[in-house]
Amino acid sequence: MPLWFARGLRRGVVTTRYPASPDGSAASLPTPPAFRPRQLSRQVVDRMVAECPGRALSRRDDLLIFDAGACTTCGRCARVAPDAVTSSGEFELTATARSALVKTIPILGEGQ
Amino acid sequence: MNPLDLLYGAGGAWLAAALAGLLAGSRRPGLLACCALSALGGAVAAAGGGWSLIYGNTPVVTPGGAAQTITGGPLQLQATSLAGVFVAVLGIVAVAIAWYAPRYHQPGRGTAVYLAAFNLALLACLAVLAAGGMVAFLVAWESMTLACYLLILRHPRSADSARGAFWFLALSEIGFLLVVAAFVILSAKTHATQLDAIAARAHLVSPGWRAAAFLLALAGFGFKAGLVPLHVWLPEAHPVAPADGSAFLSGMVVKLGAYGIALFAFRLDPVGGAWPGLVTMGAGAVTAAIGILYAMRERDIKRFLAYSTIENTGIIVTAFGAAMIFHAYRQPALYAFLLIAGLYHVANHGCYKTLLFLEAGVTEHAAGTRDMDRLGGLVHRLPRSAVITFVGTLGIAALPPLNGFVSEWLIFQGLFQGFRTGSHLIAILIVLAAATLGLTGGLAIYAFVRGFGIPYLGMPRTRLAAAAREDGQPVAGPGLLAVACVALAVGAPVVLAALSRAARTVTGVSLGPLLLPGRLTVLPAHADFSAFSPTYLAVFLVAACAVPALIYLAGRPRAASVSVPVWDGGMVSFKPRMQYSAMTFSAPTRVTFDALYRPAVSVRRASDDDPAGRSGPVHYEAQVTPVFERYLYRPVIRAVEWLADAVRPLQSGDVNLYLLYVFAVILLAYLLGAV
Amino acid sequence: MKPAPDEAATAGKLRQQIAAQFGRSLHIRTLDTGSCAACEQEIRLLAAPHYDLHRLGFFFTPAPRHADLLLVTGPMVRAFEVAARKAYEAMPGPKVVVATGACALGGVYQADPFVHGQVGAVLPVDVWIPGCPPSPLALLHGLGVAVSRLAEKTPGLTFIAADESPGDGP
Repeated sequence: MPLWFARGLRRGVVTTRYPASPDGSAASLPTPPAFRPRQLSRQVVDRMVAECPGRALSRRDDLLIFDAGACTTCGRCARVAPDAVTSSGEFELTATARSALVKTIPILGEGQ
Repeated sequence: MNPLDLLYGAGGAWLAAALAGLLAGSRRPGLLACCALSALGGAVAAAGGGWSLIYGNTPVVTPGGAAQTITGGPLQLQATSLAGVFVAVLGIVAVAIAWYAPRYHQPGRGTAVYLAAFNLALLACLAVLAAGGMVAFLVAWESMTLACYLLILRHPRSADSARGAFWFLALSEIGFLLVVAAFVILSAKTHATQLDAIAARAHLVSPGWRAAAFLLALAGFGFKAGLVPLHVWLPEAHPVAPADGSAFLSGMVVKLGAYGIALFAFRLDPVGGAWPGLVTMGAGAVTAAIGILYAMRERDIKRFLAYSTIENTGIIVTAFGAAMIFHAYRQPALYAFLLIAGLYHVANHGCYKTLLFLEAGVTEHAAGTRDMDRLGGLVHRLPRSAVITFVGTLGIAALPPLNGFVSEWLIFQGLFQGFRTGSHLIAILIVLAAATLGLTGGLAIYAFVRGFGIPYLGMPRTRLAAAAREDGQPVAGPGLLAVACVALAVGAPVVLAALSRAARTVTGVSLGPLLLPGRLTVLPAHADFSAFSPTYLAVFLVAACAVPALIYLAGRPRAASVSVPVWDGGMVSFKPRMQYSAMTFSAPTRVTFDALYRPAVSVRRASDDDPAGRSGPVHYEAQVTPVFERYLYRPVIRAVEWLADAVRPLQSGDVNLYLLYVFAVILLAYLLGAV
Repeated sequence: MKPAPDEAATAGKLRQQIAAQFGRSLHIRTLDTGSCAACEQEIRLLAAPHYDLHRLGFFFTPAPRHADLLLVTGPMVRAFEVAARKAYEAMPGPKVVVATGACALGGVYQADPFVHGQVGAVLPVDVWIPGCPPSPLALLHGLGVAVSRLAEKTPGLTFIAADESPGDGP
């Protein structure tokens, strides 16, 4: 018991100070995607929608509807369209209104 | 005018009630008339009993004429202080049962005979208590036994009924033989039949004969009172008798056994030396413990209450035994005090046990069963009965502020002062008895939480219990007894004042300020030991509950409150089988006292029979070994049967052999006459 | 349980009340309505030394009667509906319901005879915490938002990458 205590004191405090200051491990967390509108075309978006296993992605005319609340961060949309999708790095995604999690991204790229 | 006149009145009323019952009980007006006369007799008897507590012993009256020709001897009557408590209890019990009977019994031929037998039993009990002479006592005792036999045998065609009544009769007769022997010894040695005369001359009898008489009386009256191992008839007879019959048996007839012991111990035969008191106290303590331990195993409400009666008899007899010990060790204050405590417990037990039996009858009638494991939730369906039963349960569990607590406190305070005897051994034995009573008290609370909680609280376990309704069940009779319980508790100083007057008549010791220094405080016969005020306690407890409730009601926040169901873990439906059952609730005592119960357990699993070992229903059966029947009574019965078989060749049916007998006897008489 | 018409107004008043009462001490009751338990493992880490929610005044309690906040995971299987309602009703007001995990937010399962698909179909949810599973940091942030100690960031997020060409990592 005293040995454990001494060892712990030597190691120092392991508790994070989050939310007062950022936590180092946040950098390696899986996060929902961020999209590049100029790299998106209707074709690309349709392939991404088909690949998404959940119901996070859908297309309405020239808009990509992304439901961040439904995203499971599986990464399949990034695998299908690596140029159009990158990691957003956002993990503080809490919302007090469900509609605030549904984002609209314009499709500005060329292609069918 | 003295209390004996009131007892005459009561007796006359009960005789008239018996006649009314017999002649007109088949119809409703006759039934009501019989019960009204019975209640009148009860009220007069209660008044007479209370009066004779204070009045003292009346002179002995010998009604001559016809009475003498019937009994063939002087029939003496006397109203004594010692019997006063018992007469008062008899009166109250009679009134309560008389109010209860019209709504419980249906008018008919059987009811007519039953009511006649009941009122004759009341009359016989009164005669036992008012007997001034040996012959009167014995005649009345036997009449009471026979009348109670008819009471128990209300439904003669049922095998259980016949069996229960037979156990009662057989054991009562054995007890009667022993009582007769005891009385005959004393009477022959003192050359008197009047009880007063026997009491006056008892000290002239040699100690050996006195000891024999006392032990015979203890055993003989112990059969009736229910001392272990002589108690076997109680759990057999109580379930088969009708509810008011069982109430009468437990409330009064068992008390007459205690009265007999008290009569011999304190009036007729106060034996010198401590050992009779030790024997009595030991028998009482063992009875109390064994009684409540067996009560924990019963599912039938009436058998449970019967064992509880045995427990309370043990407590009363323990108090009497300890009183005898203190008398032998020259502690007159404690002697009188424990006598008072024992008599107080008699009164209390008469009230609440009668109440509980009457309510058991109501429950059986409303829910169709006496089995605790088939009841449940009756507090919502029979609210008035539940409240009355709760008062009785609080009383019998000896919880403050009710009357059971007061009398058990008195008995404990008396036992705790065992050190005043001066002998270490006696003090230790008295403390052992107190410890046994303490165990009994704790188990009694446990048993009665089970006895009230399983049938009344929770959810109904069967459809019959769920269908129980309040429709015309008797409330007045048990309600009167509940009021009596509260009155005996709150009015304890009054009761104790009357009892100490009675104790002064019996023992010659005047307690006065050692018992009741002020108006409301009670002392245990010594000024510097402890003190207690039942009245203040009752007031304090009521206030302790009421004041916080009032503060809460007055000051609670104005915000609206929502009523939601009890959090049950989110279960979709709560089934009655998820509750405690009566047997699982008492499982801890069953496991602890395994050696006493010696259960015969059989477990059969469906997986035992299945070749693949698939699980299925498990059948579990546990039966208590009837220890006393198997190891005491059955050998005695077998011995008697063996003896009868051995003697049978005498009755061969051969005429020649009979002629030989005649010849032999004549020859013998001739020879004896010649000598 | 459908949201009230002026949900925003009542939600705002509720949040003020919650901030006043629960800001420093909050009792959380977790409710698993059929999840794969990944969310539960992340929730359990909150009590571990690294994240230590006790330092923020948050505590777990098993009794709904003592709870202020109901943390719900799982897609609300229909078999659990009665228990979920009972747990919610057993909580005294004021109370907050937080749905966490992609399943609870309706992103994984569609409503069918066995599952509602989202917690909002049965309970009135106040705060949503996305993730699959949400990391303990996301949960801490979400609980802070629920008691109005932290500001929410989602209205300001666009999920549009700042750079327009691939090859530049974030």
